[in-house]
Amino acid sequence: MENAIEVSNLVTYYGERKILKGITCSIPTGTTTVIVGGSGCGKTTLLKHLIGLLKPASGSIHIHGKDIATMDNASLDEYRKKMGVLFQGAALLNSMTLAENVALPLKEHTKLKAPVIDIIVRMKLDLVGLSGFGEFYPAELSGGMKKRAGIARAMAMDPVILFFDEPSAGLDPVTAAGLDELILRLHRVFKMTVVVVTHELPSIFAIADYVVMLDKGEVAFVGTLDDFKNSDKTIVRAFLERRPEEESYSPDNYFKIIAGS
Amino acid sequence: MKIDTVLHSDYTVVSIAGEIDMYSSPALRDMLLTLVKKNTATVIVNLKEVRYIDSSGIATFVEALKKMLAYKGKLKMAQVPDRLMEIFNFSKLDKVFEIYGSIEDAANS
Repeated sequence: MENAIEVSNLVTYYGERKILKGITCSIPTGTTTVIVGGSGCGKTTLLKHLIGLLKPASGSIHIHGKDIATMDNASLDEYRKKMGVLFQGAALLNSMTLAENVALPLKEHTKLKAPVIDIIVRMKLDLVGLSGFGEFYPAELSGGMKKRAGIARAMAMDPVILFFDEPSAGLDPVTAAGLDELILRLHRVFKMTVVVVTHELPSIFAIADYVVMLDKGEVAFVGTLDDFKNSDKTIVRAFLERRPEEESYSPDNYFKIIAGS
Repeated sequence: MKIDTVLHSDYTVVSIAGEIDMYSSPALRDMLLTLVKKNTATVIVNLKEVRYIDSSGIATFVEALKKMLAYKGKLKMAQVPDRLMEIFNFSKLDKVFEIYGSIEDAANS
């Protein structure tokens, strides 16, 4: 299977702290791939590299054959037109209506006329179940509706790759399941490559074709959902069975830490 | 994208080949609005050779249809490839446009 994304030996730091420690993984074209792992494992940092928001200290990120890690800003802007991103908080502009939020990328990046953009906006809002909400402001919406509106905006430019950062975060289980269903439908119909960062087990089981698991900045697992479920790797089993990590230091060490000696 | 227009006595056939995307759809819009300005009664769009259509292409057809309905004109789709039909179905556009298997069927309807 052809790969949409190929990450090789990706290393990145926040200050002196090494966050991604040589990540190598591939994301097959046309699949829904979930990047999973515990909090702080580096999955959102990896996502930020995949969408070109961060530059790695070393390594490469080939998207459809082009290394975005070494791209200049103009080329990166062109690449970004072909991808959509739903950020954790939906990242809608609060001073704009939903329709204006969805129209923004079309006005910024295309020469389409206003009547065409208006129709596209209504189509996208309908796609995510928000017909009739175009004149609402983000503050007037529930958390789930904001996420849907964020998806409508992410879909505005008909991306070939759609990225989601923790789409279920902060949502009740029913709304989260509805969002998973929407992601599945969009993937099925538009044949996009979908990349979802999440640690929600129900979402992983509902939407994933392929799983990339990170642990402490390293790749712990790469494979299909079935392989993931059946993996006997300790770290995978702990994640699937929701087993907490063992204490990393003894009571004696703990005393030394708090006593400062 | 390539557009060919053939005028018949009762209808006009617009045959499109290639990809209808955000870069090419403005040219399609210009052509369709030219037909609309002439109050063309029936336009049949032959999509047989279209490999890809994005939202801007669909929106362009929706805009043209809306303008044509104002003077009771008809915009019909013919020979829609399966891949496009899937998108039409998902977007409920199969309910919006008249869709036919052939240009003849569209012309005779």
